[in-house]
Amino acid sequence: MSIVLEQLTKRYDGYPVVNNVSLEVKDGEFFVLLGSSGSGKSTILNLIAGLTSADHGQIILHNRNVTHLPTQKRRVGFVFQNYALFQYMTVAENVEFGLTIQKVASLERQKRRDEALELVGLAGLGNRMPRQLSGGQQQRVALARALVYGPDVLLLDEPLGALDAKIRIDLRRNLRSIQRQLGITTIFVTHDQEEAFDLADRIGVMSFGRLIEVGTPEELYQRPQTEFVASFLGTANLLVGNITAQSVELGPIRLPIPPEIQHAGSERRVQVLFRPEDVALAPTPAELNCPELGRGEVEETSFGGAQERLRLRLAPIAGVRPIAPLPGFGSANILVDATRSPEQASRFPLQLGEAAWVGVHRFHALVHPGLSFLIVTDGSLRAQAALALGGQIARLAHARVTLLGVGPNGQAMENHLQEARKQLGSGLAALEVQTSNSPIAAAVATATEQAPYDLVIIGLSLQENLALAEQVLQAGDFHLLLVPSPQPAPTQTLICATSGEPGKEDVLFAGRLVRHLGAEATLLCVLPVAAKTPGRLEQTQRFLDGGVQSLSILGVPAKTIIRNGSATPEILDEVKNKGYDLLVMGAPLARQSSEIKLDGVVGEVLTSLTDKAVLIVRSHLIQSKNPLTQPKALAK
Amino acid sequence: MTALTNQPQKPEATAGLPMRPSLPWGTWGVRTVALTYLTVLLIIPILVILQDGLREGLGGLWHQVTLPIAWHALKLTLWTSALMTLVNTIMGGLTAYVLVRYSFPWKMLLNSLVDLPLAIPTLVTGLMMVVLLGPQEAVGSWLKENLGLSIIFAPPGIILALLFITFPFVVRAVQPVLLNLERAQEDAAATLGAGGWTIFRRITLPPLVLPLASGALLSFARAIGEFGAIVIVAGNIPLYSQTAAVYVLGEVESENRLGASAVSIVMIAIALSLVLFVDWLQSRSRRSG
Repeated sequence: MSIVLEQLTKRYDGYPVVNNVSLEVKDGEFFVLLGSSGSGKSTILNLIAGLTSADHGQIILHNRNVTHLPTQKRRVGFVFQNYALFQYMTVAENVEFGLTIQKVASLERQKRRDEALELVGLAGLGNRMPRQLSGGQQQRVALARALVYGPDVLLLDEPLGALDAKIRIDLRRNLRSIQRQLGITTIFVTHDQEEAFDLADRIGVMSFGRLIEVGTPEELYQRPQTEFVASFLGTANLLVGNITAQSVELGPIRLPIPPEIQHAGSERRVQVLFRPEDVALAPTPAELNCPELGRGEVEETSFGGAQERLRLRLAPIAGVRPIAPLPGFGSANILVDATRSPEQASRFPLQLGEAAWVGVHRFHALVHPGLSFLIVTDGSLRAQAALALGGQIARLAHARVTLLGVGPNGQAMENHLQEARKQLGSGLAALEVQTSNSPIAAAVATATEQAPYDLVIIGLSLQENLALAEQVLQAGDFHLLLVPSPQPAPTQTLICATSGEPGKEDVLFAGRLVRHLGAEATLLCVLPVAAKTPGRLEQTQRFLDGGVQSLSILGVPAKTIIRNGSATPEILDEVKNKGYDLLVMGAPLARQSSEIKLDGVVGEVLTSLTDKAVLIVRSHLIQSKNPLTQPKALAK
Repeated sequence: MTALTNQPQKPEATAGLPMRPSLPWGTWGVRTVALTYLTVLLIIPILVILQDGLREGLGGLWHQVTLPIAWHALKLTLWTSALMTLVNTIMGGLTAYVLVRYSFPWKMLLNSLVDLPLAIPTLVTGLMMVVLLGPQEAVGSWLKENLGLSIIFAPPGIILALLFITFPFVVRAVQPVLLNLERAQEDAAATLGAGGWTIFRRITLPPLVLPLASGALLSFARAIGEFGAIVIVAGNIPLYSQTAAVYVLGEVESENRLGASAVSIVMIAIALSLVLFVDWLQSRSRRSG
């Protein structure tokens, strides 16, 4: 193995930008790290090169543990997105720089410099200054400079990102052939899927600091393990259906159980992926020659060069929930993306608004991972309440549960955890127990770095300990359920939402959870008196109606309320007068300093409620705006 | 609204013909005003003093300049300014580097404070030095007794006062260039095996040479003419701590205008050539940057 990363973690201001990443890259392999900006992929390169230091984990290059070595001693070739050529040196001096440092004799140096320039196709340009070259040429110089001194591994940080489309493709081919010729182990970072598919022996997909999945381009495209990779790579049609002992059911379709799902066991939900090119379109079901999904209407068409792209709208199918393409907020229709060759298109031409039968040639089933909970307990009375309610919700949701015992290790804690295990009992997808001596927030941070959780459940009185709630929210990317006192499983949920994109996410996650409880939901919007204009009112009502639609698709009966006045007293009044037993609120935006402060409406409501469980939903829209997920901005 | 009547009339556009650009009355006006202002304010006074100093020909000027007290004052001015410039270049460059590259509490405030010497009356600067280091004060007397070091009313005081006054020049010349400098170049050098000193010498320093030089020369030029702080700090002892600017004042007061003008001309000549040289340096750094 040329490059081995073991449980690598890097935090900025406590937030993990690289989160427990382990990876092995084989000798001579061209490995591509793919992810959107801020996913931590460039930070991994910087860690390997030693340009930033790791907080945890090991980096091994060619069996040499370099974790604590300075950059100068790691023998990595690094190519930067913006070339980073030495502006005050000629091309030749740039390329020779590494050799000069190694005190290679002048003649030998010139020979190797000329070879390197020839390798990248720039022979004879040694006397130019960097700024006299085009972007593509500058990047070739940077490549020659990185290769000439014979590094152990080559690290490329979006090297083609700043170039024009055509030059990018040229240089890409060049890069690949040079890499093959030299057989140097390479990690290439990009956010461009096409680039990744074109170059990679294997791809690693990253998101929010985690390495989500690793595989060959073909594996990741055709047989992804996770919903994220399925919808991130290429265009995906992703539906949730059922899996039974005999088959995968997608509405009317019965599909054979694919080999990747070993034991279906009892009936459960399953995600089914099919790609646009796996979709068949025909005027009649008989002509499809494959299982039919239903009849759809062409909603969009476009020509993408060699292919025709279509989007069809199908009527809702019982027992099928769409994930991608994303249906409209409040719509239960199923959208299907399809591509056809010109030949297929000419055999059965389709115009906007025309109908066609939709079938599926080939599909891939992802085992639905379901929800994953972390229940924190310190043995106190409140923790018991959290354990009871969390356990109940987890059983109803068939979630995986990790029980985190926090406090001094000892017989008492062991007994308590034994007891808790018994109490949680069976009916969970999985149960795991961990213990920690750290304070609660730190323990949660550690646990959520090891594995992602959808929901963290803590017994906590907000009147006494708002600061702890803030710390825990800051510890990771999850929703938080706070349980102040023992209570039965919720039956009446109040969702306090503000109209807008984060509000939609609040509603949707609340719906995913409440669905399992069989509870009813009330959607509440509070409008300031000043904002009570007809337009605003109408917009809010539209938002709430969309929310009700979305909830009803999830099987949650819901109604809406709009109140006028100041948010905090109106919400408290609503809670006190009706028998809600679960309150859902969106987490406040993180501040510039990355702190999450529960002041404002959320904090005011939380401190006034002593006996109700509160679910704080974290919007991913907010998450992606969090400055902490942009390590580059931070490094400056 | 009388101003409106002064505005140039717009020529009427004639259909079919390309419209003539409007007569640049405004441009002419602005140009004339600016150039007249420059002439009256800068050029005429310089010409007048040249004429005054050369009243008795070059020989007379030379005689006045080489009088022992005048000559000493000029030499003192030049060497204190030169020494100050050396220190200021190194420390100013370092300050700029720290302000750009490191983050620490109160950084914004400190960054603003750099410009303070431009705003403080230089007399006040002198006073601050005396209060801090005067022979009667705690620090000053301690230095005198234990190290035998006189600062106030001696050349070291002049250098210190000049350092204070010219502090912003180098910092502000270097800062923008450092800010624009890609960190990636230094990272690249590190991956190629270069150590910290090599990186500084070969990657970080070269683009800073021109701004350092222009900042240094500007502070030198500024120092030569400094009067306010020095008149308080230096004590004005002829042949010991009297600088050229203070000498000029003395000559004016004792009604030796020829002497005053002659030394002034030398100071102007030095300042002018420095400013021209800085201009040339800056245009070069713009071209290469």
